[in-house]
Amino acid sequence: MTSKIINMADSIKDAEDRFLESVFRTDSLADNGFSRMVMRRIRRRLWVKRLALPVAVVVGAAVAFKPLVGLVAMLAGILQVVPNDMLETANQALPHLSTYILGAMLLAACLLGLRTIEE
Amino acid sequence: MTRSEDHQLVARVVSGQDANAFGELVSRHQSQVRNFLRKLTGDFALADDLAQDAFMHAWDKLQTFSGSGSFIGWLLKIAYTTFLQSRRRSKRYAEILQDVGQSMVDESRHHSMPAEEVTDLEKLLAVLDEEERAIMVMSYACGLSHREISDATSMPVGSVKSVIFRAKDKIRTNFDIKDHQYG
Repeated sequence: MTSKIINMADSIKDAEDRFLESVFRTDSLADNGFSRMVMRRIRRRLWVKRLALPVAVVVGAAVAFKPLVGLVAMLAGILQVVPNDMLETANQALPHLSTYILGAMLLAACLLGLRTIEE
Repeated sequence: MTRSEDHQLVARVVSGQDANAFGELVSRHQSQVRNFLRKLTGDFALADDLAQDAFMHAWDKLQTFSGSGSFIGWLLKIAYTTFLQSRRRSKRYAEILQDVGQSMVDESRHHSMPAEEVTDLEKLLAVLDEEERAIMVMSYACGLSHREISDATSMPVGSVKSVIFRAKDKIRTNFDIKDHQYG
């Protein structure tokens, strides 16, 4: 009830309000390419957002490449110390380990690609 | 241009980042936002730059639009905040320039209206301070209710009414307008 009274009081206009409305009233502005300019900025921002993740992955991989190679070399050194029996046992347990790893990487790449297309 | 159409377009943008729906919202409301900022700044080029920034902020924050009020009210709130932030930045910039002993920014670079083109509205706005100008423009040029202005300016409704009352009083005093001259 109170809010109705407040709204009613707001909507009651006297001569002064009508006078001010007539002074403040202005013609609507022609677009003149304004909307197009805003949308161009937004589309540019969307592209930057879409490209950010792949670019970050590439840059990260480039930065991490050398340390990763070092890590692999170190692991290879450790594996030489491991007895042959143990390595054979691991191979028997997971005969196609490299295929599994490659498959997982391809799956991740496909999912990323699908997400980009969806966006 | 109905409120529900605006809300449908907002829903389309929020649900699927539909840039075309946002483009429709921009072309629907660009005139009001640019006019609002033109009246606040008195500088057409600056107002259009600020309007672009305001729409960019609106794009970023669109998911925060609750839909309880009008979309134009929400948009003008962003435009007003963008205007205040730019004022703060330009004040700080002027202070830095003064600190290093340089002259102030050349006023002639701005594209404000030439003196002979100053309209009744510009004369009227000149007697109001920044806050009064913004609230009067929202009320009389954009047609926002006191509640919507209160949301846009983060002021209580009572304070909005006081500012409007004060602004009207200033206009009456400065332009020597008597009650019978209205209408």
